[in-house]
Amino acid sequence: MYSLLTAFQNSVGRKILTGVTGIALTGFLIIHLLGNLTLFTIDYADADNAFNRYAHFLHDLGWLLYVAEAGLLTIFLIHAYLGVAIYLRKKKTRGTNYEVVKSRGGASKVGFSSRTMLISGSLLLIFTVSHVNHFKFGPGWSGEPEYTQQMNVGGETTEVRDLSKLVFETFNQQYEGAIFYVIGYVGIMILLGFHLRHGIWSALQSLGAMNKKLVPVIYAVAGTIGILIALGFLVLPIYIYFL
Amino acid sequence: MTINLRVWRQKNASTPGKLVDYKVEGVSEHMSFLEMFDHLNEQLMKKGDEPVEFDHDCREGICGSCNMVIDGQAHGPQKGTAACQLHMRHYNDGDTIVVEPWRAAAFPLIRDLVVDRSAFDRIQAAGGYISVNTGAAPDAHAVPVEKEDADVAFDYAACIGCGACVAACPNASASLFTGAKISQFARLPQGQVERERRVVRMVEQMEKEGFGDCSNFGECEAVCPKEISIQAIAEMRREYMKAIT
Amino acid sequence: MSTQTTKANQTSPKLQSKVPEGPIDKKWSTHKNNIKLVNPNNKRKYKIIVVGTGLAGASAAASLAELGYNVETFTILDSPRRAHSIAAQGGINAAKNYKNDGDSVYRLFYDTVKGGDYRSREANVYRLAEVSNAIIDQCVAQGVPFAREYGGLLDNRSFGGAQLSRTFYARGQTGQQLLLGAYSAMMKSVDSGAIKMHNRHEMLELVVVDGKARGIITRDLVTGAIERHAADAVLLCTGGYGNVFYLSTNAKNCNVTAAWRCYKKGAMFGNPSFTQIHPTCIPVSGDYQSKLTLMSESLRNDGRVWVPRKPGDKRHANQIPDEERYYFLEERYPSFGNLVPRDVASRNAKDVCDKGHGVGPSGLAVYLDFRDSIKRYGRDKISERYGNLFDMYQKITGDNPYEEPMRIFPAVHYTMGGLWVDYNLQTTIPGLYALGEANFSDHGANRLGASALMQGLADGYFVIPYTVGDYLSGEKSGEVDTNHEAFAQAEQEAVERIDKLLKSKGTKTVLDYHRALGKIMWDEVGMSRTEQGLKDAIAKIRAMREEFWNNVYVPGEKSTCNKYLEYANRVSDFLELGELMARDALDRNESCGGHFREEYQTPEGEAQRDDENYCHVSVWEYPGDPDSDPVLHKEALEFEYVKLTQRSYK
Repeated sequence: MYSLLTAFQNSVGRKILTGVTGIALTGFLIIHLLGNLTLFTIDYADADNAFNRYAHFLHDLGWLLYVAEAGLLTIFLIHAYLGVAIYLRKKKTRGTNYEVVKSRGGASKVGFSSRTMLISGSLLLIFTVSHVNHFKFGPGWSGEPEYTQQMNVGGETTEVRDLSKLVFETFNQQYEGAIFYVIGYVGIMILLGFHLRHGIWSALQSLGAMNKKLVPVIYAVAGTIGILIALGFLVLPIYIYFL
Repeated sequence: MTINLRVWRQKNASTPGKLVDYKVEGVSEHMSFLEMFDHLNEQLMKKGDEPVEFDHDCREGICGSCNMVIDGQAHGPQKGTAACQLHMRHYNDGDTIVVEPWRAAAFPLIRDLVVDRSAFDRIQAAGGYISVNTGAAPDAHAVPVEKEDADVAFDYAACIGCGACVAACPNASASLFTGAKISQFARLPQGQVERERRVVRMVEQMEKEGFGDCSNFGECEAVCPKEISIQAIAEMRREYMKAIT
Repeated sequence: MSTQTTKANQTSPKLQSKVPEGPIDKKWSTHKNNIKLVNPNNKRKYKIIVVGTGLAGASAAASLAELGYNVETFTILDSPRRAHSIAAQGGINAAKNYKNDGDSVYRLFYDTVKGGDYRSREANVYRLAEVSNAIIDQCVAQGVPFAREYGGLLDNRSFGGAQLSRTFYARGQTGQQLLLGAYSAMMKSVDSGAIKMHNRHEMLELVVVDGKARGIITRDLVTGAIERHAADAVLLCTGGYGNVFYLSTNAKNCNVTAAWRCYKKGAMFGNPSFTQIHPTCIPVSGDYQSKLTLMSESLRNDGRVWVPRKPGDKRHANQIPDEERYYFLEERYPSFGNLVPRDVASRNAKDVCDKGHGVGPSGLAVYLDFRDSIKRYGRDKISERYGNLFDMYQKITGDNPYEEPMRIFPAVHYTMGGLWVDYNLQTTIPGLYALGEANFSDHGANRLGASALMQGLADGYFVIPYTVGDYLSGEKSGEVDTNHEAFAQAEQEAVERIDKLLKSKGTKTVLDYHRALGKIMWDEVGMSRTEQGLKDAIAKIRAMREEFWNNVYVPGEKSTCNKYLEYANRVSDFLELGELMARDALDRNESCGGHFREEYQTPEGEAQRDDENYCHVSVWEYPGDPDSDPVLHKEALEFEYVKLTQRSYK
C-alpha cells in the first residue's frame, strides 16, 4: 500500500532497515566464522588444505561471487550510513543537553554496549577495510608465486592461492609484528562482541519480533550469540600465534 | 529535613537558562516532590522572588502534566512513579537534588520547568483514533474481544502522555508514546480498518515533529510511570512493515 | 403518584425548564422529533465555542464537529487529554442488563433519583439513563479497552447505592480510558480541520450581546495575550468547583472561574451548596498537603469498613480481634452494608470519628480492610481488581494494603451544584450551555458512583448535538464579530482584574488565602452544616475577600507564563463562590443527600428532607456586585414516576 522508499524517511523505517542489514551482516559473520573454523584443523605447512580449498571454491564462483560481494558491500554501507545518520540526528533532537544524566536501570538496556554502538561500529568499519585489504587484496591476490600452489581440484590441476600461509604469517609468533596483529584482532573482536550484544537483540526488536515475555530470553540469547561469535573469531589469532 | 535543590531557571526559550541553588528547609518526609516545590515557591514569594514555574495538575499520577528530570532521571528514582507521586521519604536530610525540565527539540521550553508538549497532540491527530461518528456504533457486545487482547490494549492505553519516554531517551525518540497508541488499536478489532494508514501517518508525524530515532535503549520503559513495555515499539514496527509491503 | 407543587416550591417565571410533555419514557424521543434542525450546508457557518475539554467538552466538540459545525475548543491545560475526567477511577454506569440481574433504564433512573435524595429533575435523569447504553457502545467502538471476561464480553461490577452490577470499568482507570476515547474522537476532527484547539488558554469573560452569549475573552497562558473569540453559541464544560475547599480530590487547576464569570453575566447558579464528600480518600497527613487522593469507591465492593469498638484504641489494626472491631456500615445498614451511597458512608465515618473511634495519627480516619476478601478470593484476584489502587495507596502512604487495612477519610470530590440549565442544557443566558459537572446536573443532592462519567458523556455525545441546533436554527450565523463594543468592554473587565491582582503586592500569598478559605468551607460548609456556622462563614469569607484584594502577593508579570497569577485569579472567584455556597446552604432548611444541616435530622441521625418547603432547585441570580445579596429563584421539582420517600439503605 505504501512505498518501501518511505522507509528511509522516518525513524521507524530507518530502524527496520538497520535491523535487516544488521541481521544480514550477522549471518555473514556466522558463515565467515564457520569458514574460519577450518583454520583450527589444517597443517599450515601443507598448502593443499581445507581452508585454501574453501577459499578457492568461493573464488571460483565467478560472477556469483561478485554479486554476493556487491550485495554485502551495499548492506554494509547502508548499515553504516544509517548508524551515522541516527547518531547525527540525535544531536539535533535533544536540543539542550542535560546537566545530569542517569539511567533508571530496571527495564533499561542503556549500558556500555548500547551506548557505544557508533564507536564500536566505526572501529569495525575501519577494521573491515584494513582486514579486506590485508587478506583479500594482500599477497597472493595478483598470483604472486610464493603464495600460489598447484592443486588437483575436481580432477584438474589448478593454481590455488595459499591464503592459509598469509594467515599464518600474520599471526604466528615467528613473524615480526604478529603480536600486534593478534592484540589488535582480539581487541576488535571484543568490540564486535559488544556491538552484537546490543545489535542482535536490537535488530529483532526493530523487526518487531518481540513480545514482553520474550524480551528477557531474547536479550540473554542475543548476548550469548554475540559473545560466541566474538569468541570464535578472537580465539583463532591466539591459537595461531602459539603454533 | 533540609533539601538542597538545584533547579533549572529559564525565563523563556530565547534567554539562556541555568541551574540555581535553593536551600529548602522544613521539608516533611510525607510531602510529595511537588509539595516540596509548593513549599519552595511560598518561601521564594515571601522574599519577593519569582517562584519556579512547573506543570502539574492531578497530583495522582494520571494526568501526565508533571515533567521533572530529577537527578538525571525522568520523574525521579522510583519505578512506575510520576514526579507528583514521588514522596520525600525517599530522600535524606541534606540531600542535593538537581531538577531539570524535559529536554527535547520537539518539546520547546516555555519557562523554567514548563515545556510545550503539543507535538504529542499532533501525533495523536495524525490517525490516533478510530473513525466512528457519534451514534454510529454497533452494540458493545456485537464484537467480542479476547480478554488477553483487551488486557494488552489496556496496558498500552494506560499511557498518560507525560513525555518521560522522550525525556529519558538518549535520542529523544517518541517511539514508546506513538507505539503505545498504534499498538492499542492494532490489538482491537475496532482498530483494524485504519491500521495501515494509522501507523504510516503517525510515524511520519513523529518524524516531522523532530523526535529522534529509537535505538532500543529501553530507557523509556524504565522511566514510564505506567511501565509500558517496549513491546509496543516492536508492535509498531511490525505494523509499519505490514503497511509498507 | 404525582406530587403537587406547594406554594413554597413555586417555580419562578424566569426559569423555564422546557421539559417536553408526554410520558417520561417518550419525552426525549418526542423532543428529538420536534426539535428544529440546522441545514447541513449551513452548519459550517455556525461557530461553537467549547470551553473545557474533559469528558463533556471533548465529546461535545467531537460530536458537533462531526455534524459539521465549526468548533473551537479551549482548555487551560496543555492538552485536552489532561482534563481531570482522566482521574475518575471506578467506572461508568449503563442499563445494559448484560448481567441479567433485572437492570433496566427505569431502574437506573430510579436509583439515580433516589440516590440524589429527590432533588433532581426527573425528565433529565430519565434521559440520562436512556442514553447510557449508547455511551458504552460508542466508547467500545472508539477502542476503549473496557475490562472483559474470558468469553470476550464486557465485565461489570457493582457500585454504591445500587443493588445491581451495572458499572463498566477499565481497571481503576475508567475515566482515563473514556477521556482518551473522547479525546481521540476530538483529535479526529482536529485532523480533518473541523475543530480548532486553543490549549493553555483560559476563559476570563463571557461576552453577552442583547442578552445572548456571543463569545468569550481568553488569556493565553504562555504569552499572557488577551484574546477575543466570537461564536454563535458557547458551551461551558469546565467541571466542578470542589477546589473552593482547598483540599479536595480535584486536580490543582480545577476552578470555577469560567462558570463564575458567566454567573456574573447573568447565568443563574443552581444548588451551589450541593457538594459531594467522597468517603474513601487517603487521609490528610499534614499542613503542607496540596490535594487529596481518592481511592475508588469500587474498593467498597471487597473492602470492609471498620473502626475499633473501643474509642481511643491505639493498637495496630492487625492486633485488634474481630469482636472488638466495629463494622459500623454493616451494622447500621444491614441491607446495603459497605455499599451505602457516598453521602451516607461519609457522614457515618465522620460520626464514628467524632465519637472518638477514629484511627491513625490524627484520629480522622477509618479502616478499609481487605483481609477477608484476600482470604476468600486470594491475593491475585484482589490485585487484578484493585492492583493499581493498592500501589497508589502504598506510594502515597508507605503502607501496604495487602498486609494491613487502608486508612481512609471523606474528602470533597464532586459538586452537584452548577449553572442552572433547562432540559436543553441551556443556561439562563440564551446561547450559553453548561454540560457535565459544570451544570447543576442530574444528580440532585448526591451523585451515585460511576454516574459522573455517564452524565458528562451523555451531555456531550447525545444531548447537546440535538439541543444546540434547536437554538442555532433560530439564529443568523456570525451575527456579532469581535469588534463589537461588548467585546471591548468584557476585555477591559478581564484586564482590570488582572492588573488589580498584580498591583496589590501584599504580604500574603494566594495559597495562604486559599488554605484559609478552604478551612472555613470545610468546617462550616462541609459535611455537616449549622445555621450559626453558615452565618459565621459568610461573614468570615466577606472579610477575607476584602483583605485579599488589598493584601495578596501575586508575583511576576502578566505578559509571561505566570501560574500564580492564574491561581490568584481563580482564588478570587472562589472567595465569591464560597459565600454563595454558604448562603444556599443557609437558605435550605432541610437535610438532603450531601447537604446535611444538623438541625434537620431523623432520630437515627439520617438526613431529614422537607419536601413541603424544599422540593425545589435553589437558583441564584447575581445581584450586580459581589457584596450585595444574590436573588433566589426556585424551580419546583415534580415527581410523577418516583415516589418521594425517606431514603433507606437499611
